[in-house]
Amino acid sequence: MSSSAAHHEHHDILPHDYPVDPEYGRATLGKLGMWIFLLSDAFSFSGLLLAYAVLRGGSEVWIPKGAPVLGIPFTAGLTFLLICSSVTMVLAYAACVEKNRKGMVLWLGLTVLGGSLFLCGQLQEYWGTFAFIFHHQGLIADGLTFGSSHYATTFYCITGFHGMHVLTGVIYLTTVWIKAARGKFDDGNYNEIEIAGLFWHFVDLVWILVFTFIYLL
Amino acid sequence: MSGSAVPHVNRKEYLLVFVALAFLTALEIGITYIPGVSKFALGTGLVGLAVGKAWTVGWFFMHLNHETKVLKLTVALPFLMPAIYAFVLIADAVFRLALL
Repeated sequence: MSSSAAHHEHHDILPHDYPVDPEYGRATLGKLGMWIFLLSDAFSFSGLLLAYAVLRGGSEVWIPKGAPVLGIPFTAGLTFLLICSSVTMVLAYAACVEKNRKGMVLWLGLTVLGGSLFLCGQLQEYWGTFAFIFHHQGLIADGLTFGSSHYATTFYCITGFHGMHVLTGVIYLTTVWIKAARGKFDDGNYNEIEIAGLFWHFVDLVWILVFTFIYLL
Repeated sequence: MSGSAVPHVNRKEYLLVFVALAFLTALEIGITYIPGVSKFALGTGLVGLAVGKAWTVGWFFMHLNHETKVLKLTVALPFLMPAIYAFVLIADAVFRLALL
């Protein structure tokens, strides 16, 4: 069988028709690949959070006098927003399993919207981009500038690194959304949506930890 | 026929998980406003809640509950490393602080 036919056939197999592997069951190659990538990404975040913990654990004064305190209510709203977009993501997967294109397009669209609003929230938090709504000029204008203290630098490194992941997820999900709208998943092949979902849930999972370690502790 | 099993979609479970995550987030924020709680107790409580929420997302939304034992171990075991590393490094940092 020519390689392109094999390749074509490989992509047409529905995940639940995948040959059962003794160790990994019906987990598709794409899913395993995404899990391994997420593990490596989790180690990147672990490194940053560990550096933060060691710096903070070893310092007598963490928040320098006069430095702005992080706004918990606002970021709690962002946390809730990401949790909501995790739910819409899993409902998009459910719609795909049931070959419901309209549902896929709706839930994927809401997921992309949730991610985009989260990014707008971060712009507001850093630069006060939406000060006309929130009446707050942002942390940078308040004096929390990159490099001014360990407190500031670890904050921007970790939340910025996570923000890049949210941006990546929004772009990634937009491509999946367009495919879904074009009927690419009408056959019920939920493999691509499930894999995109793994990345998006991981982004939510990491923010759950970042919100606690950076904002609440 | 390959006897394929289309995955069972459990919306009720998804919505229950959503309510649990929202409640735990509110609880996390709430306990930070309780006066008189020791820093250690607060930190332990918050970290426990955060890890619990993270596990919930992984188990239900990332479908680890439907995966094989080997895939679960493939995901879980590597996290022992950062945990050990965290314990050693933070203990060291705190110990050095005490020497000052």
